[in-house]
Amino acid sequence: MRLEKKGHAAMATHHAPTDATVWKIVKNVGDVVAEGEEIVILESMKMEVPVLAEQDGTVTKLHVEPNQAIAEDEPVADVE
Amino acid sequence: MNDEWKAKLTEFESRRKRARELGGQRRIDRAHTAGRYTIRERLERAAESFSEVGEFATYDDVDALGNLRGQLPASYVMGLGTFAGRHVAIGGEDFTVRAGAPQTYLDRMKGGLGGFIEDLAHEYRIPLVMFMEGVGGDVAAQGEKGHSYLVSSLSWKRSYELLAEVPVLAMVSGASAGGTAGRTVLSHFSVMTKDSVFFAGGPPLVKRALGKDLTKEELGGAQVATRSGAIDNLAEDEDDAFEQLKTFLSYMPQNVWEMPPRGERTDPVDRPLDEILDILPTNGRKPYKAVSVIEPIVDRGSFFEIGKYWGKSVTTGLARLDGIPVGVLASNPMHLGGAMDAQAAEKQIRFVDMCSTFHLPLVYLVDVPGFMVGPDAERNNVVRWGMRAIQSLVEAEVPVVTVQVRKAYGMAVSATSDPDGLSLRIAWPTAEWGDLPVDGGVDAGFHREIEEAEDPDAYRTAVQQRMRDLADPWRTVEAFGVEAMIDPRETRAMVADFLNASLHKVRTDLGPQKRQWTIRP
Repeated sequence: MRLEKKGHAAMATHHAPTDATVWKIVKNVGDVVAEGEEIVILESMKMEVPVLAEQDGTVTKLHVEPNQAIAEDEPVADVE
Repeated sequence: MNDEWKAKLTEFESRRKRARELGGQRRIDRAHTAGRYTIRERLERAAESFSEVGEFATYDDVDALGNLRGQLPASYVMGLGTFAGRHVAIGGEDFTVRAGAPQTYLDRMKGGLGGFIEDLAHEYRIPLVMFMEGVGGDVAAQGEKGHSYLVSSLSWKRSYELLAEVPVLAMVSGASAGGTAGRTVLSHFSVMTKDSVFFAGGPPLVKRALGKDLTKEELGGAQVATRSGAIDNLAEDEDDAFEQLKTFLSYMPQNVWEMPPRGERTDPVDRPLDEILDILPTNGRKPYKAVSVIEPIVDRGSFFEIGKYWGKSVTTGLARLDGIPVGVLASNPMHLGGAMDAQAAEKQIRFVDMCSTFHLPLVYLVDVPGFMVGPDAERNNVVRWGMRAIQSLVEAEVPVVTVQVRKAYGMAVSATSDPDGLSLRIAWPTAEWGDLPVDGGVDAGFHREIEEAEDPDAYRTAVQQRMRDLADPWRTVEAFGVEAMIDPRETRAMVADFLNASLHKVRTDLGPQKRQWTIRP
């Protein structure tokens, strides 16, 4: 997780942990998430690899769409 | 004390004082400002005792035109130390003296590439601990010699030889470039602080050669070096790095002729392991972190991960089981579903070679869908690297205990056990195996038959059902095609029992490795 200061709230960009395709968007922009909740589920080698919220907050941006191929370390979602 | 003694001791003290001043206060301050220790402070903090050798070796400091400016201590500090309670050869470059350049100006090198420190480790068969901070050779060296020289006149042989004899540990703090970087990777374990840099050539060289403007962090920061596999581990700061070096050493014998040191047996081998059933998803599409399955099985708190940031589909690290130091490998489904790609294979090979060299038995937790497939994998030469990984296990001279956790498909499975040794494969009821998983395998193997059927979908379903029945792991267990099936909660006790028995083999196999083949394909 890389924290980027934006105003007073800490914004966390969540990155893909592995090369994958986007399988399911669980939370949409505006949804409230608690730390540890699934935001997006990727699929890699037929495995469901979840991108979990690393902090409580609101999803402010999704960088991906379903079925999109994504490489390790590319941004998936912002939570702030 | 007579006057003659007084004069001799006065000279001694003044020379010692000069040696302690390193490259001067300005350069020492620069290190401190950057949050780094000097080489003498490193030795002071890391070692419990230190008998210095070559303290008064000197470097003639000249300007660019060759005019003598004065004398400085030689650019390497070393000696016999006690580190984590053990005798070690210990030392490092002094970055405050010509950026830790090799001491080609001395009759005998102190260290850095061969030299006394490496002879000490070799002759006394004690570990070598190196603090790497230097930028390798520079054009000033030819000024000292009065002529240029072929770098190949210096031999690396001793540095390679040591890899087969004693643990070699390296820490990078500051910059490790060129020859210093080369010497760094000739180690069994390396760690760098997070604000250090490591590269073959630094930004000015890259700018000249390639016209690319890169910061030194972009080029060879810890993010780059620990992800390429050049450096094993990342440390917060130097004190953290010292601790990691000591932890690594705690699993290692002094040399390949001695047994790895057994730790305390305070964690009962039959303690409850119920958490494994919560951690391991029975749904094969759900991943888990390899570390979360390793930790409950080994002695509490004993797992020390090595190479966390590269080759991530195989997790590797040292641990103890009933106090016995072991090398642990585990497929990591969180990354590429646990598939073995070229990087993971490379990481595994280096780890297996090291454990075999120091006679640490291996425990492999397998959940591998195969070698990685796809254009990236092919470009990275996955097949050759994968076959080398298999070879590393075939060549390993230590006991291997394999636990079949979930998937075991394709050739990659051969890189998880020792079919020419005891081949002890212990399966959990979640295990599945074969050449290919049934779902994809049916289409690949019978596509013509399926296409030509009257009702292809129904035919496919029937074939899949038949193949699923045949793939039931219990059938393999009944055929003794796998050595054991156990309740996962019995794993720790059973593995410990076999490891304890295997020590009879380990004890009688001590000494240098007897490799069957001289090259890897």
